[in-house]
Amino acid sequence: MSSSDVILIVDNVTKRFGGLVANSRVSFQLKRGEILGLIGPNGAGKTTLFNVITGVYKPDEGKVIFKGEDITGKPPHEITRKGIAKTHQIVKPFNDMTVLENAMVGALFGKRARQVAMEEAREIAMDSLKLVGLDAFSDEFAAKLNLHQKKMLELARALSAEPDLLLLDEVLAGLNPKEIEESLEIIRKVKDERNLSVIMIEHVMHAVMNISDRIVVLHYGRKIAEGIPEEIANNPEVITAYLGEPELALKFVKRRVTK
Amino acid sequence: MLKEFRSVTLGIIIAIIVAILVARVLHLTTLDTLMTIMYFMGIALSLNIIMGFAGYVSFGHAVFLGLGGYVYILLVYFLEPLNQLQRAGFGIGALLVSVIAGLAAAALAATVGAAVLRLRGAFFAIATIGLDFTILYLMKAIVPELNPDQFFGGQVILPADRIVDKETIFNAFFIATVVLIAVNYYIRKSPFGMGLTAIKEDEDAAEVLGVPTTLFKILAFSLAAFFTGMIGALFSLNGGGVDETLFGLNHSIDMIVMIVIGGLGTVLGPIIGSLIYYELYDLLLVHYPGVNLIILGVIVAIMVLFFPEGLIGILRRYKIGNVRLRDILE
Amino acid sequence: MDISLLIISSIYGLFWGAILGFAAVGLTLLWGVMKVVNLAQGEMIILGSYVAVIIFAMVYNPFAGAIVALLLGLFAGFLVYWALLHKLVGKVEKITLKIEMSTLLAMFSLSIALMNFYYFIFGDEPRGFGLWNIGISNIKLGAMTVRTNVLLADVLSIVSIVVVYLFLERTILGKSIRAVMQDAQAASLVGIDPVKIKMLTAVLGIGLTTFSGFMVLLYESAVTPDIAHKYAPLSFVIVVLGGLGSVIGALIGGLIIGLVYGLSKGIVTFYNAKMSDPVALAVVFVILIVILLVKPEGLFGRKR
Repeated sequence: MSSSDVILIVDNVTKRFGGLVANSRVSFQLKRGEILGLIGPNGAGKTTLFNVITGVYKPDEGKVIFKGEDITGKPPHEITRKGIAKTHQIVKPFNDMTVLENAMVGALFGKRARQVAMEEAREIAMDSLKLVGLDAFSDEFAAKLNLHQKKMLELARALSAEPDLLLLDEVLAGLNPKEIEESLEIIRKVKDERNLSVIMIEHVMHAVMNISDRIVVLHYGRKIAEGIPEEIANNPEVITAYLGEPELALKFVKRRVTK
Repeated sequence: MLKEFRSVTLGIIIAIIVAILVARVLHLTTLDTLMTIMYFMGIALSLNIIMGFAGYVSFGHAVFLGLGGYVYILLVYFLEPLNQLQRAGFGIGALLVSVIAGLAAAALAATVGAAVLRLRGAFFAIATIGLDFTILYLMKAIVPELNPDQFFGGQVILPADRIVDKETIFNAFFIATVVLIAVNYYIRKSPFGMGLTAIKEDEDAAEVLGVPTTLFKILAFSLAAFFTGMIGALFSLNGGGVDETLFGLNHSIDMIVMIVIGGLGTVLGPIIGSLIYYELYDLLLVHYPGVNLIILGVIVAIMVLFFPEGLIGILRRYKIGNVRLRDILE
Repeated sequence: MDISLLIISSIYGLFWGAILGFAAVGLTLLWGVMKVVNLAQGEMIILGSYVAVIIFAMVYNPFAGAIVALLLGLFAGFLVYWALLHKLVGKVEKITLKIEMSTLLAMFSLSIALMNFYYFIFGDEPRGFGLWNIGISNIKLGAMTVRTNVLLADVLSIVSIVVVYLFLERTILGKSIRAVMQDAQAASLVGIDPVKIKMLTAVLGIGLTTFSGFMVLLYESAVTPDIAHKYAPLSFVIVVLGGLGSVIGALIGGLIIGLVYGLSKGIVTFYNAKMSDPVALAVVFVILIVILLVKPEGLFGRKR
């Protein structure tokens, strides 16, 4: 893989909280236009890794290189401006702002921060809302949305930043099967239309297996496997890791059976 | 779609400004009354920049009022050129000197803000109270030393040859108020204002969305301090001097209460809030002298418990016909 | 510089500090348990002082005043909780910044009303125990002369703090209060009713605060509304120093503030006596800001 194909390099990242090691020497690369699934049992350090990439946490060791530039330890707002956008696992809408205004914040302070005027931001925001199907709610206060809509608002806000790399932290959690299907469709669509690279943390196994080009598995902060979905689903170490969580292990086994 | 209605806010603002001007030209009331109204409006709109938009309640904001007052009065007391300047240009000169006072306040806000704006909620509020008392006691210690024969207990009274006539002060006050309203309006409509509101709603999410939160908070705090300092300066000039009571918590109370009555995060909120507050103050004082401020306290408690969004905040929920008030009271 | 003068100034500071510490105990409890920063702390303190003065005028016994101040404070706490705080924090498990702001403003409104009530009733005029003060002599401690009233206030303050500490550490009710302080959610899971505990905290906290008004009165000899403006900000400093919710922290915080004040005053007096009091107070507030920035959980508090 030539270096221009690679948009993100996570190189030997270690992050500790006191005695707890949340990430231990995690390394992987992401190609342009790729969807990478990031999976692992609860407490595996997935969200921590996102927070290291977006600058919320400074890693104790290791580097994060985005589009050939070392962004390790830069403040989150600078990293956002370089073209990385993230959705939150626990939705954080600006409740007393309208849905449109929420998305406008993404546009105003995203990759083209300081170049986007209010009117243009409004258009960008409206486009993102259309993409995720929230355009009808643009004038409502964000507090009024339901969980699915709030998750879609997170996505619209991130998309309004016009990123090159999109980090999705459990956008599917808590949604019903129909909503999951719709959301996957939206993610595929925006990825193709906007030529995005995507990393998604997900517990909904069939969805992540379905949509990802490649998958990285974290367990107790370490990377224990990396590969295409088929390889991961048949990887004994991965299944063992999930055995601590019988439900998820069962999903793996089911998938193997149905194959 | 409701663009034509959006200008209602602007209409109300212009009407209020014109009303002040008309009252001045036709001598409908005294200059002092008008200046008191502008003083209340001014301090409410100043604090609004950090409290209303960014959600940081500064309980010690009177520190900038006091600092602005002291800087202005001491400057014209000791420096003859500035004493000359404040009389020049029908108020422009006084305005320029008050800008120096405002800059001093802004400098303090930027320096201290860089540190204390890391604190949130009550901790920030308490830190600003600490700042207020620090500067208050420093002034009490230092000011008497500047002229031990005159400045007893930190009180500075301007001698007759350094006092400015009220017409001049009115002009300076008026320009400052108009600029301050314009700044509030601009912030509300600008990306800066969007960023501040995002900070108020969820600071961590705002930072991840690309809002330079630290920079914005310091900017908002410094702007709020700048205008508070200017108003403290003109207020003191009108009073012919300054003393430590300008640092009093009661001034911080005034600012906060006006914003709470009017509604946080809007431009009209603090303006309407200050007008109501002024009227209430007056009315209660006339009809219930002595207990007027006790009643005021009860009113504030009722507002906080039952109408936390303030007057404009409540109105914003409703519609008249097809027009949502939210769209026109922006 | 005269070292013995410095030492005496510091000891006077410590005498004041213990009283300051007790005056901050109510604040630290409310702040620790339900994140309510009582901005009417100063007004509550002098409520106790005024009550003591009134009762004294009626029965000519200062201690009767102290007891009535305590009882009235307990009742005031009950009222404050149900009138102002319950709606804002009663049933809330996690107190957000917005709620915190609302409680600040609610207590703020109380402070406006109370302060102006005092001005309305008592005006600026100092009120005290009058002749009773003169009847009580001074005590010589080596080179120092200390008013008996101050010593009495110190003993009462320290004893009260120890009693409150033992109550929190040893009794079931006290342990419940500490449990809610640490984790309201977990506490309710083990069957503690957070509403009851919050109400009790308000009753206890405000009762102790008005009780401390008696000690403040003994120290200051007379009460004016201005005393509130002096003690409230100092209480904030002490609570921040000692850590939210820590009673012993409040005592140590008070002693530290008293010591710093006395020491600064002693040093500045040597150069310029007139500047000594304001500079010493400025130093105290600079400490507040520094502690907030460096160690917001307080010198003795646990990390939040």
